[in-house]
Amino acid sequence: MTPDAIETPGNVPEEAPGGEAAKRKTSILVLDDEPIVCKRLKPFFQKAGYEVEAFNQPFEALARIEARRFDVVITDLKMEGLDGLSFLGKVKALHPDTDVILITGFATMETARQSFRKGVFDCVAKPFKLAELLDGVRRIEKERGLVP
Amino acid sequence: MALTRFTDIFAWVWRRLQGKPPVPFSALYKKFKGILERHNTILELIGDMGDKLGGDYVFDRQYILDSCERLGDQVFKLISDLNLLCQGKNVALFTAFERIQFRVREELAGRRVLSRTDHILPLSELTHDLADEGGNKMTSLGDIKNILGFNTPDGFVVTAGAYFEAMQRAGLRKPVAETIRALCASGGQDLAEQARALRQSIMDMPLPRELCRAVEQAARGLAGDKPLFLAVRSSAWDEDSESSFAGMYETVLGVAPADILPAYRRVLASLFCEEALRYRLHHELCAEEPAMAVGVMPMVDALVSGGLYTYAPLQEQDQAMVVSAAWGLGKPIVDGTAETDTYILRREPPHELLSSDIADKSTRLVLDASGGTRTEAVPEAERATPCLSAAQLTLLAKTAMALEHFFKRPLDVEWAITPEGGLVVLQARPLSIRPNACAQTVDASEAVKGVPVLISGRGVTAMGGVSAGPVHLMTEGEDLADFPYGAILVSRHSSPRYAKVMPKCRGIITDVGSATGHMATIARELRVPTLVQTGSATRTLREGQEITLDADHQVVYEGVVDALCRFELVREDVFEESWEYRTLKRVLKHISPLTLLDPKSDAFAPESCRTFHDIARYVHQRAVDKLGSLAETHRELRDSAPRRLVTKLPLGLTVIDVEGGLDPAAGEDANESDIRCRPLKALMEGMNVSGMWETSPVAVDMGSFMSSVTKTFGAEASHPSRMGRNLAVISREYLNLHLRLGYHFTVVDAFLGGSVNDNSIAFRFMGGVTDLSRRSRRASLVAGILEQFDFMVEIKGDMVTGRIKKHPTRTMLEKMFMLGCLIGYTRQLDAKLDSEGAVALYMDLFLQRITALRETRE
Repeated sequence: MTPDAIETPGNVPEEAPGGEAAKRKTSILVLDDEPIVCKRLKPFFQKAGYEVEAFNQPFEALARIEARRFDVVITDLKMEGLDGLSFLGKVKALHPDTDVILITGFATMETARQSFRKGVFDCVAKPFKLAELLDGVRRIEKERGLVP
Repeated sequence: MALTRFTDIFAWVWRRLQGKPPVPFSALYKKFKGILERHNTILELIGDMGDKLGGDYVFDRQYILDSCERLGDQVFKLISDLNLLCQGKNVALFTAFERIQFRVREELAGRRVLSRTDHILPLSELTHDLADEGGNKMTSLGDIKNILGFNTPDGFVVTAGAYFEAMQRAGLRKPVAETIRALCASGGQDLAEQARALRQSIMDMPLPRELCRAVEQAARGLAGDKPLFLAVRSSAWDEDSESSFAGMYETVLGVAPADILPAYRRVLASLFCEEALRYRLHHELCAEEPAMAVGVMPMVDALVSGGLYTYAPLQEQDQAMVVSAAWGLGKPIVDGTAETDTYILRREPPHELLSSDIADKSTRLVLDASGGTRTEAVPEAERATPCLSAAQLTLLAKTAMALEHFFKRPLDVEWAITPEGGLVVLQARPLSIRPNACAQTVDASEAVKGVPVLISGRGVTAMGGVSAGPVHLMTEGEDLADFPYGAILVSRHSSPRYAKVMPKCRGIITDVGSATGHMATIARELRVPTLVQTGSATRTLREGQEITLDADHQVVYEGVVDALCRFELVREDVFEESWEYRTLKRVLKHISPLTLLDPKSDAFAPESCRTFHDIARYVHQRAVDKLGSLAETHRELRDSAPRRLVTKLPLGLTVIDVEGGLDPAAGEDANESDIRCRPLKALMEGMNVSGMWETSPVAVDMGSFMSSVTKTFGAEASHPSRMGRNLAVISREYLNLHLRLGYHFTVVDAFLGGSVNDNSIAFRFMGGVTDLSRRSRRASLVAGILEQFDFMVEIKGDMVTGRIKKHPTRTMLEKMFMLGCLIGYTRQLDAKLDSEGAVALYMDLFLQRITALRETRE
């Protein structure tokens, strides 16, 4: 994997996201059946310098995952049709090096804890701060060497 | 059972004494503490919900539903707790709860609860909070007038509520909903036919008589004595918002006040015009019941009229706005039939003119003397003259940009300039044709590449958004009237005073401040991007420096980053317009405002509770009062063997320990060192401080002084349940103290050490043997001192009551210490306050001493 040189504000206060060496943006897939979550996350991460695709329908996201790899997947745990854990399983089976952040409601925090065993990178409880999620994504970038 | 008066309580206790044994005091005390805890949980929940409107958080539908459910549950239990404490049923409180709960549930179910039932609302009262009542178009105009403070025509709106009532009474509401459902189900079969039938049924329906009268009266009111014609405009739900329906509904111009009703009906009927129904079908709006509010405004007599796009739809001019203008009224311009002047201005201040194209304007539409309109020839000399001056263009540009910042979208603004030269905003709607440059995907992250970052990752978003402009550093006491237009306000502290300049400023950055404070609330109302608590913005940023504030990401860039600003404008979804935001805001109307303010007013009653916050406030107050009265009257406390507290000062104090107020190992005669009750301990420390007693204004030796202090117990003591004893009811956090020292009577009721919200002290001081004027002076001395220490003070004759709440425990314990000092200090002043000057003198003396004491203690 080519290490990217994406920097986001806060990481490197002296310079804005990107930098001269930027070649490829870190890619994120967002899946949540609550449209508002996609509507908020997509522009937020785009503005922070990420490539973002967002889906409300699990099967659409699944089709997309089959078609290409994303660096990061952010998915809701509880959804109609397909739950986050199954989605997580599919993602991991197809792309073991994709990291998954699980968004969970307050009530499902216990399930979320169990999910760590299934290879979830992090869990974020709804409602969450945008900055929290950005933090998680940055940690992934760091651990995966996506940032210098 | 409303046992608020002391005599009632006493009588009640007496009755209880004859009958079954009362609930143990310790059990009631536990219940009291439970109420305090629940009260806190409720306030935190309400605060949390309010926070979510700030823009820092992502929340969804489920969050709103869950929070409302949890909150309702807690409030219900709080009321039940109070009933247990007071051992009575508070039916009125449950009724209030049910009423509020019902409204919240209606909002959540999508059945909008109209907060105003009026048929008519004046434009001067409309803002987007009343969008359900007034419809989108008119409430936007209301925002422009009432929030942003620009000139608009006067006028009123016939509400959506009036529409529903008319439909309901005519028996049309259900059949119409049925028809629309059927149309949706069939994919629009016989649409034209059905639309015609629907419209006809509206045209034929009888309007309620009161409604007709109200509309006619309001229309006549607008006209006054002058011959005036009216514009009657649609203002439907969802018109001009996420779903647009732009231009589909009817506008009727030049309506005489006497003809208002037919015009009103025509606009109502246009709700079901074929175009609008088709739009509804194709935009998945079948689930929403349509509603039409109708705006009525006088026709504005215009010297010049026109339109303005805040983003020019021109490829080569993507940083410009475009103004079209012509002489006379605006209709021919909107219709595109008039020759117009076209001006291109820069979007950024000072909005210089980039180009102008002056047309030959041969005709104009004008109001005629009778109030109607007619087309006339433009005098030769004016035809080729530009119809706007440079100053007028600048004013227009500034106004339009302020509107764009507020609505967070490129706008199409309709405006007029009156013969007197005033600018009037007639309408502002989202620009339906997106400018070319806007339509392209903006890569914001590319745009900020290499741009120096001045502040990053610090601060809390009070209101999201992006804006750019020069920094203006606020200085202490600066006149806000001089605030430079289009600047970004940077200041050390947040202040609600800044509300005044918010319409002029592009953004706010503060070193200190809270996202839930008063200023933040106003910033959200006015949608000004606001970042608080950055710590050092005032030191990092320089006066006049151009910056771009990205409040969503808590970043400040050096210079103006155009693409970032543009990114914000081309976003399809404005958070403030989402269902979640609007719904949370709507339910919060029934939850968070506190309308029950003064516990002493008659309105402080269950019947007046309008929000969950009100209920919580009411229960809290009742519980505190109840505990106070229980401490004085509870049988167990009367009959239990109280313990004597041996103190350094001969106070003759008897203590009843309810829970953890004394060391468990303490004997029958407890010592000061056994005290675990935090408020009593602090108070005793204050009393014991030698400086407060020894350096007395009158030379009194300690022994003789203290003997005078204690000698009057007995005959004169009037407390019915505690004849002749100085009594303290204590727990670890609670103190209820009745102290008679000499001729003074002091009551202290304090709860300290739970959460900040529960901390409270009430202090009462009265009595004395000198003449009334001296006693009053002493009262004013005590009041003055209490005020110095942030107490809310009330004086009645020679009785002083001071209350303080919600300070951190440490601070509150210092107040208790101070009260201890004060009790001793004032006792000695009895005869010395022979003039008003003496009051000031002894007050200063006390303050000096306490300051010195505080320093030594620290």
